[in-house]
Amino acid sequence: MASKSICSRCLRLAASTPTRRIPQKPQQRAFSSTVSKQPSQERRIHHSSRQKAPEVEAQRSHVPQDIPPYTTNLGQQPSRKHEDSSERTLLQPNNLFHPFTTSPSPQIRRRAATIRQNAYCPHPDHQPTRSPIAPHDTEGRKAGVSPPAHVRHECPDCGIPVSCSEEHFASDYESHLEICDTLRQINEDDHDLVSGRFFPEFEYPPARFEEAQVNMTNWDTLLFSRGFEAVNAERSMRQVTRLLTYPITVGSVLHELSPYAFGKEGRLTPEGLRSLSALRYTLHPPRTGAGVDIKGLRPNPPPVRLFILGARAESSLPREVWVQLSHLFPRVSFHLIFIGPESMANRDDEFPLPPRTPSNPFGAIVEDRLGGQMKVSTYVEYFHTLYEAQHFAPFDPYFDAIILFHPGLGHPASSHEWSPTLPQLLATKIPIICTGYTDYDMQRDIAWVKKEAKGEMDVLLEPAENRFRSLRWDLNDLDPGDVSCGNWGVWGFRGKRYETDEYRGRDG
Amino acid sequence: MRPSQRLGILGNRIPQSSYYDQHNRPAAALYRARQPYLVRNAVTGVCIVGFVAAVRGIDTWTIKAIGQDDFSDIAVPDAPAQPPHTPNASAGVRSAGSAQ
Repeated sequence: MASKSICSRCLRLAASTPTRRIPQKPQQRAFSSTVSKQPSQERRIHHSSRQKAPEVEAQRSHVPQDIPPYTTNLGQQPSRKHEDSSERTLLQPNNLFHPFTTSPSPQIRRRAATIRQNAYCPHPDHQPTRSPIAPHDTEGRKAGVSPPAHVRHECPDCGIPVSCSEEHFASDYESHLEICDTLRQINEDDHDLVSGRFFPEFEYPPARFEEAQVNMTNWDTLLFSRGFEAVNAERSMRQVTRLLTYPITVGSVLHELSPYAFGKEGRLTPEGLRSLSALRYTLHPPRTGAGVDIKGLRPNPPPVRLFILGARAESSLPREVWVQLSHLFPRVSFHLIFIGPESMANRDDEFPLPPRTPSNPFGAIVEDRLGGQMKVSTYVEYFHTLYEAQHFAPFDPYFDAIILFHPGLGHPASSHEWSPTLPQLLATKIPIICTGYTDYDMQRDIAWVKKEAKGEMDVLLEPAENRFRSLRWDLNDLDPGDVSCGNWGVWGFRGKRYETDEYRGRDG
Repeated sequence: MRPSQRLGILGNRIPQSSYYDQHNRPAAALYRARQPYLVRNAVTGVCIVGFVAAVRGIDTWTIKAIGQDDFSDIAVPDAPAQPPHTPNASAGVRSAGSAQ
């Protein structure tokens, strides 16, 4: 990886004694939510009606929400003079709760304006604006006649606008109380991100020696066994797991020390064991005696291809986060392929896309300087287009897997986009790992897949809570009552496997 | 020198792990990482100590049980009037004889 001229510990010591402000670089890959290009009109309508967390939802506000850079602090020289610490740090750690509209941070004030312009009051006296998506959706309770009103009134305890007026807030207080604590936590976490403090939790460790085993019982054992610096504070744990959940969820399912075991108490089905054993054959290769000289030349297998379909915010995650996946598997090379119409969300400075040439017929952006073990490609296309063009054929169950991060397969707004793709995914016969925002979201996806597949699918991993879910709850700016966490649940499926059997005549 | 550095006797920096605080006590992250194993390890430790104590108890009882019998019914002869003149040679002869 990139060599640091100053070791991370010295840098932290240098930076922590005076509270030093990290220079705010323009975000290359902010894990935030904006698109610069206007999506087509029908897509805009579908997305605005979709209840998804803001990070994966294309926001209509065109102002980028910068998160303080957690990229390497190479620009920081410890010999610099101290600056006035009070104007460098925006917020002290004990001063993180502010109502959104009166927040000291301009980004959060803009976000509050977005919420007030777009979100509707959830009180039952209003008319519904859209059909309810989930049983707990507040739109389902609305049976009144007063016209829908945008939220204006902020709850004094959590600081987020949740009602149109104080009367509606008071009368609907019990249902707000269920999420008030979570919203307050979200409020403080969001202010923490813009507070300008030093983020030691965003320094990721390099790969360790091969024999160092990873313990995948829970987040704490994983971070400890991977050699992360201690993340003692709960808030820091939330911030770091929000990003790491994407590579670690994938790694926790594919690794041979995965917590999802086969057996009575485990979640892996026999078909899942078959698929994952094939992949683990490649992911944990035996030693070959390879060396750096001519005598150490050995044939190398092709990279493990992970197709991340419907990629939105995860394609803009910093590459240091994705490289953590390759650190879990020594001596294996990975090719991450982000495919989806929104796969360039929050990556505005990488536009324009490369021209379509015969060697790159779909204008993909290929990043291969990521440490030698990982390559990332981004295609702004639907998967069925690429499948019909046989661009990735053949698919090999020993090397390839498909990952869907909260795809909304069964979501009414997006399931029609997945209908042409699903039969193709099942035909590739490679394992498909799928995550969901909530239990209801996941069960809806499973029901939709079972219905669409008409029995042609096998479940590989029973759906349940993901051990490596994001510990941080996210707010949906278009509906403050909808809190979700990234990758809450995980499950897996694959096209049905048929065994050849002896022909026993027409009756048998 | 920065107060957060730890220095040894010779002024060199002692390597610090972030999982221990200033006074070498485990920090919260270390406690959380150990938590799935705390009860199991404590029970294992108690079992091992109990096993050692049990073995030690068995051994002391065994030694005590095969301790000296009661030899009061055997008369101990008196010491001889003269000690032997050449104790080494007779001892050598005697032991050579007994080695056959």
